[in-house]
Amino acid sequence: MGAVDIGPLQLALCVVFVLCSGICSLALKLKLERDLMIGSVRTFAQLYLMGYVLRFVFDLSQAWPVLIIFCGMIFFAAWTIRGRIKERTVPFFRSTLVSMLITYVVVTITVTGVIVQAKPWYLPQYFIPLGGMVVGNSMNAIAVALERLFSELRNRRAEVEMMLCLGADYREATQSIMANAVRAGMIPSINAMMGVGIVFLPGMMTGQILAGSDPVLAIKYQIVVMLMLTASTALGSVVVVWLARRNCFTHAQQLKLGE
Amino acid sequence: MNTAMFRLESVSLAYRPGRFLFRNVSLEVACGEVVLLQGPSGCGKSSFLKLLNRIQEPSEGRIFFEGQPIAHIPVTQLRRRVSYLHQSPILLKASVGENLRLPFSLRASGRKKAPGEAELREQLGRYLLSDVSLEDPAENCSVGQKQRLCLIRALLLNPEVLLLDEPTSALDEESASIVEREIVRANRKTGISVLWVTHHPVKLPAAISVRRLKIASQTISEV
Repeated sequence: MGAVDIGPLQLALCVVFVLCSGICSLALKLKLERDLMIGSVRTFAQLYLMGYVLRFVFDLSQAWPVLIIFCGMIFFAAWTIRGRIKERTVPFFRSTLVSMLITYVVVTITVTGVIVQAKPWYLPQYFIPLGGMVVGNSMNAIAVALERLFSELRNRRAEVEMMLCLGADYREATQSIMANAVRAGMIPSINAMMGVGIVFLPGMMTGQILAGSDPVLAIKYQIVVMLMLTASTALGSVVVVWLARRNCFTHAQQLKLGE
Repeated sequence: MNTAMFRLESVSLAYRPGRFLFRNVSLEVACGEVVLLQGPSGCGKSSFLKLLNRIQEPSEGRIFFEGQPIAHIPVTQLRRRVSYLHQSPILLKASVGENLRLPFSLRASGRKKAPGEAELREQLGRYLLSDVSLEDPAENCSVGQKQRLCLIRALLLNPEVLLLDEPTSALDEESASIVEREIVRANRKTGISVLWVTHHPVKLPAAISVRRLKIASQTISEV
């Protein structure tokens, strides 16, 4: 049994939801109408584009287009993070991109090749959706962790400088700041693990059930996904914050961020 | 030959390209010398001190410590030899004892042992902090007590230079006089050089030879 198809008219009906939000925005003067409109258009355009690209890639059944799409998703995620972080004194885009690429490729290959045992490991039906979830979830975690890192470095500048004055290197001077940043990034993933199955049914599991899959099979996949997301969030946050923190200091252990 | 503790050659510091706090400063600080540096707020007094322990880099010029360019000295070692005391006392959210032992828990400390409890208690007594226990949370101390703890911590490293960034400006009279007294004592006993930034009058004994410098109009000159 497959999922019930959604026709163009039914799809168009969904726009009513956005229209309701737009009316609320107008009534409450939230000034979100433009963003809502652009967001809706982008949702349609990006997802349709991805749908057709995936159909094409599924037919090709080769590793390279799968990896190219995956790298493109990671690049876009790193770019989004760059846009969300206000800090401009410290360069962090390149280190974020490289660490996301390495971490997420390793995690996703491990999940598809070793845990799910998809054959071949790059089977696009598995690799792209699972990899996409890794990138999407970790993107938020990394953005939160970086934001916390930079804001704590600014707010606790005097304490960091005091440690440096006592002869601490930048790692010692920022040990607790780094821990706080990574923790802030990871808390949503840990909360999600606590609430899954009781407070909410995650998107992937819901999708599988809608597509007619056995709910028990769907939960097995969901468990793999939850643990994979927690691992990738932790790894991604640690590596990105580690590298970004290094960039906040000069070789002479001087904090670059201004007051 | 008596090598200068610090030698500055044509040092300038700009907070933005072309916007200088001071320019072309050349001076020497001798071993054991006490230098008072005065000037209005925002003229670059604190930044000047921070050049000497490399928390900041000069925009131009060179700085030598005991005849060696400071860029050639491992920076974590330099900062333990050139101790810096901030205007507002900064302590970690930990016990008084942990804060005093903090410099000895760092990698730069190597195998140097942290002072024992008896020594720390003796130090507390000398700074009229006998009522403060090593186990007390440091955040419970008053500002004056905290600054005294910071001075103890700085001097426990036996530095060769003490950089003081208005250390008594926020203190009550009693704390300020204890801090001043102990700085003078350290200078007399160990020959530590002192660079003291202030815009308040500092009560120093007449026997202490003090050199007074002033930052004004982007230059540093003798008063």
